[in-house]
Amino acid sequence: MAAPEVHHLFHAPVADHSFSADRTTLAVARDTSVELYARVGNAFKLKDELKGHDKTVTSIDIAPTSGRIVSCSQDRNAIVWEPTPNGYKPTLVLLRINRAATFVRWSPSETKFAVGSGDRLIAVCYFEEENDWWVSKHLKKPIRSTITTVAWHPNSVLLAAGSTDAHARVLSSFIKGVDARPDPTAWGERLPFNTVCGEYMNRSAGWIHSVAFSPSGDALAFAAHDSSITVVYPSAPEQPPRAVVTITTQQLPFMSLLWNGESEIIAAGHDCEAFRFRGGEAGWELLGSLEAKGRSSAADQREESALNMFRQMDLKGKVKDDTQLKTVHQNTVTMIRPYEEAGGVVSKFSSSGVDGRVVIWTV
Amino acid sequence: MSIIREHTQHTLTDVWRTINIDALQEDSSVNFDTSALRPPVPEISEADVRALTSRVRQLLRGGDAEGALRACLESPVYENGGSNTEAAKEAALQTVVEVLQSIKASDMTPVLRGIYASEGGSEALDVLMKYLYKGMAAASTVPPGGSAPRTPTRVTPQPTGFSQMGPRPGASSESTGAAMSVLLSWHEKVVEVAGLGCIGRVMTDWRRV
Repeated sequence: MAAPEVHHLFHAPVADHSFSADRTTLAVARDTSVELYARVGNAFKLKDELKGHDKTVTSIDIAPTSGRIVSCSQDRNAIVWEPTPNGYKPTLVLLRINRAATFVRWSPSETKFAVGSGDRLIAVCYFEEENDWWVSKHLKKPIRSTITTVAWHPNSVLLAAGSTDAHARVLSSFIKGVDARPDPTAWGERLPFNTVCGEYMNRSAGWIHSVAFSPSGDALAFAAHDSSITVVYPSAPEQPPRAVVTITTQQLPFMSLLWNGESEIIAAGHDCEAFRFRGGEAGWELLGSLEAKGRSSAADQREESALNMFRQMDLKGKVKDDTQLKTVHQNTVTMIRPYEEAGGVVSKFSSSGVDGRVVIWTV
Repeated sequence: MSIIREHTQHTLTDVWRTINIDALQEDSSVNFDTSALRPPVPEISEADVRALTSRVRQLLRGGDAEGALRACLESPVYENGGSNTEAAKEAALQTVVEVLQSIKASDMTPVLRGIYASEGGSEALDVLMKYLYKGMAAASTVPPGGSAPRTPTRVTPQPTGFSQMGPRPGASSESTGAAMSVLLSWHEKVVEVAGLGCIGRVMTDWRRV
């Protein structure tokens, strides 16, 4: 396995990160601004700063085809940044929410995006040509608490959302005039706006941190605060699911997960490293960490001289410097995203976390 | 009438800050039953617990410590807002503690590994962890032999001149101290087998024992 590519951008938490389709631009959410980094050789250099939010930016996403960046923030706004020859042009989106916006993702069709919020709703936003602005429709009904995460089905109509009311839900975000009528799936056939296609909870009712559809869209995985991952296989519309597989782990809770093909999930979180799960309808299992352990970094092998030993004991009262974690990330990983994929199989993925690092991993 | 709003006693105070605005909003979380968002828990009466206790004791006498522990972890008495009584929960805790105390220190890890490897073992150890925390809470708050207040409200000088020789809160007596040390050593072993995730699940889980 190739060594991970580590980019230590700054000493502040990275709330979210997103690569452009050609992977030369990296957008990260830092405090109240969105910072754009450009690849220069092997490193990422700060290129541009998008200022427009006045509270912490919670999530960002770059649309792969159009290059538009959408960001959302605790100031209750979302902004679409349109690339133009002379920089990015911001457009404020009418979200109509009165709590923080927590999470935003473009639909695969790139004509819509969904914004999760603390206002117990999801704003599905689309562009209205005649008024020349982004408007939103609210998915409200069964949601009882803050939305922490959303994920799109490949058909751009179904939306999965995880919430602090311990439910992962599959909802329809069909908007007339924007979406073509989707083909029936196992989740549902007729899908008017705000159809609830499924509501799932794990046994201990922990907060949901991350949701994801499998590449085919026929399975849904979610990670909850009880250190578990649950995979749901729907059978048919309005029917109970074919299988709901939960695996509880010995690890700390996972904050983010992604599918690698139909039978593998990669998840990372409070353990500061990524783990691999494999399985199917019959059951899932934790295979282990994706990091090669026993990897001794150069810093560990500093001269083991007697002088150094006594100096350490004198200065720090101990011989070994144990302020470094053995993992690449030195704090919670809050987001992992596919970096290189083909046909649903991820060959590289990127992670970002509280330690200000963005790391590109080879699977 | 002046444009400048006249300040009254009422507007100057911050009384308005104490208004619970969530209560005024119809679909706010204070206006619906959150228990609907939680998984249902089975009803277990005190008599059921007594039956279980005698079954567990039988298993213990037969030398099947793992079976005994498993049996009492399989049907935990959860809080469900009424029908599972306080007495039933207390009795269930007593049963678990009794089993834990009867298992030798050297047998702890093999027993836990056996349970963890079996079907539904991870959940059984989560339940055990819940009982460990409950046991520790009970041991440190209830002084022996009575229902005295948790903490002395205020230490007033005694008119008699005698100093108070009461037990310290927390480490109240030999017996609770011993019970606590059993629970602590079990706690360590459970974390070894089921990982930190187990503690996280106890804190996350709505189903309290």
